[in-house]
Amino acid sequence: MTLAPATRAAPAPAPPPPKARRAAHLRRRLAPYVFVAPFIALFAAFSIYPMLFTLRLSFTDWRGSGTAQWVGWGNYTYLLGSEAFWSSLGNSAMLWLLVVPVQMVLALLIAVCLNNAKLRLRGVYRVSYLVPFVTPLVAVAQIWVVLFDQDYGAVNQILSVVGLPDVGWLTTTTWAKPTLALLFIWKTTGFIVVILLSGLQSLDETLYEAAEIDGAGTLRKLWSLTVPLIRRTLAFAGVMQTLAVFQMFAEPFVVTQGGPYNSTTTAGFLLYKHINQADLGTGAANSFLLVVVVMLLSLLFVRLLRSED
Amino acid sequence: MTGMSAVPARPDSSATGRLSRRQMNGLLVAALAGALAACGPSINGDSGSGGAAKTDLLKAPTGDPSGEIVIWDRSGDLFKVFKAAIPAFNQKYPNIKVRHEAVDIDAKLQNTLITGTDVPDGVFLDDAKVGGFSEYLWDLKDVLKPYLPDIAPQKVAVSSLGGGIYGVPYDLDPGLLFYNEKALKAAGVDVEAIETYDDLLAAARKYQEYRPGSGPIHLEQSAFLGQLQLEMFAGQLGTALAGGDGQLQLDSPAYTKILTWLDTVSKEKLGTRAEYLTPGDVGALESGDQVFYPWAIWFSYAPQQQLPKTSGDWRAMPLPAWEPGGARSGAMGGSSFVLPKAGANSGLAWLFYEFLMFDEAGYEAVWGPNDVYPQGLNTSIPSYRPAANPDKPLFKPLEALGGQDLWATATAAGLQIPAGAAIPAWWSGAVDYLGNDLQRMLDGDLTPAQVIDQAGPDIQKNLIDRS
Repeated sequence: MTLAPATRAAPAPAPPPPKARRAAHLRRRLAPYVFVAPFIALFAAFSIYPMLFTLRLSFTDWRGSGTAQWVGWGNYTYLLGSEAFWSSLGNSAMLWLLVVPVQMVLALLIAVCLNNAKLRLRGVYRVSYLVPFVTPLVAVAQIWVVLFDQDYGAVNQILSVVGLPDVGWLTTTTWAKPTLALLFIWKTTGFIVVILLSGLQSLDETLYEAAEIDGAGTLRKLWSLTVPLIRRTLAFAGVMQTLAVFQMFAEPFVVTQGGPYNSTTTAGFLLYKHINQADLGTGAANSFLLVVVVMLLSLLFVRLLRSED
Repeated sequence: MTGMSAVPARPDSSATGRLSRRQMNGLLVAALAGALAACGPSINGDSGSGGAAKTDLLKAPTGDPSGEIVIWDRSGDLFKVFKAAIPAFNQKYPNIKVRHEAVDIDAKLQNTLITGTDVPDGVFLDDAKVGGFSEYLWDLKDVLKPYLPDIAPQKVAVSSLGGGIYGVPYDLDPGLLFYNEKALKAAGVDVEAIETYDDLLAAARKYQEYRPGSGPIHLEQSAFLGQLQLEMFAGQLGTALAGGDGQLQLDSPAYTKILTWLDTVSKEKLGTRAEYLTPGDVGALESGDQVFYPWAIWFSYAPQQQLPKTSGDWRAMPLPAWEPGGARSGAMGGSSFVLPKAGANSGLAWLFYEFLMFDEAGYEAVWGPNDVYPQGLNTSIPSYRPAANPDKPLFKPLEALGGQDLWATATAAGLQIPAGAAIPAWWSGAVDYLGNDLQRMLDGDLTPAQVIDQAGPDIQKNLIDRS
């Protein structure tokens, strides 16, 4: 039996000199900042700077040329007293009512169906629902204009077959908003379905099996299990669509130009009109007021979600 | 336990070297204020660079001009037309290279002028927008001086502001009365007898008797185009929404007269309410329900391209007058070329536009037959009168108008357009008020007086007072 010679403890390395220690410490401290620096630089250049630029602009009467005059809160008070501003918010709120609740229910039902493993051709259906979302809006909008034309559109032709009168879908204040909402729902529901599907696929199947043993039917499972379990996903989708509706611009721009009589001039479209008319100060103030409105609505959603928790 | 507190004392920031929350907040506010001061345009009293340079008169280059110019045009057929004219320009100026770019001018010009980056030397621009950019543009009064007596007064007026002229006038778009000759003939309507707008009403009534349920006269349903058409009617009466001093002129007998006429067409159901050449409009034109279209010359595009069924049935005549013997046309739309002061070779760009608009080889290249328009460009006429000579047509008679010599009709109408006034920068913003109220009137919700009483103060308060 040979005994291995006792290992001699290696002598402890000599501590680095204080200067090198400080440099290493500094490197460790700085490393995270260096890593995030590219993002910070881009964020500052393309988000912070434009935001501060816009904020400053909102206190001036600048029209894109010449020297701007400081007008204090003038643009904000003008907007808060302006019928056009409140009307645009009202239009957006009405569109929200027409779009978001309907879309949430519709998307949930579609997502639940598509999540059913027994459904054949699931992949085909999933792609089909996404097709409107990836189709260019301008093309879709042109189709909408032709479909809903009062005199020669397919929709009124069908109505006339069953003896109903022509409807001015895009030319009357009564119908322009619902027609635009329908376009928005048709175009974006596929996206919401995808979000909800991701939530549904994370649910535990055993819960449903247990519910079935307890005698729960399809509707009961949907209402008492699915909805509560994916409420965070639903809330996320709701916030996303709230933001989208209040910033809605392209749909009214292409389909109705904000008409008739500004009845489809959304908050986002009014903002564009200010900018387009070189009323940059008012446009900037409008954008900040819109930010406040959207933030409040988003906070409301988050608060509702927390209260559910 | 004396000298000890149950609550730990808040650390003294001065002792720890750390900043208190209050100090941090103060620093944040100071940083935000500093950042704000550094962002945005120069505000009165600042020494920033946001202000535009003072107005300057452009001087034409002398000697043997050479260099490269960047020209912005709208994409589409017109871009191709101008591109095709460049070789003719280079025959006269071989040392000027033209970089011709198709650009979404509405989306890009404002930002380009504000930032001063990659500013083109010449830009194609709607007349209605020239005034809004004047601070960035060369005053062309000097270079245009030799041509001014021969340019349609209305075109000079729309680009004039504060004594300067900011656009090289391009096209003149005289208003004409397009009509379906075949349909009207079948109804026994004598078009030659239409000399005033009252005559037009009478003709429309007669046509409606022949074809019940029809709406013979076009009533524009787009707020923007409706306002543009209203301005054409007003131009006939020698007035416009804004006078030379920029003051609103809506509350006037001229506008009352026009609005009352439109209201009559609407109330008597003599009109077809439709947006310009949308499917509903085209359908009514093709079916013979809509047979009178008081519009600018560019409606001639419709029978050539959009109305295959009735192409060849249409004709054009001067607009009716508001009073017997009154002007038989007004301008509707139009564009000019502007030269930004920040352009590198504005003088050379002036030579380009001078050639295209005032040199025979230039305007023949633009309006005459070419690869893009084998019959010539027949949706406008030159605003330069020697080019718009009735005896020397630049484009050929139109088959879609039954072989009518539109050149002769349009140039004669162009001579009748009264001089107007500069189009104010707020003009397109007025569509939200006047344009919409006009539509409300055509829908039967407002009277002509209410349109004036409502739209006038709205424009004054929301646009003029804030501009």
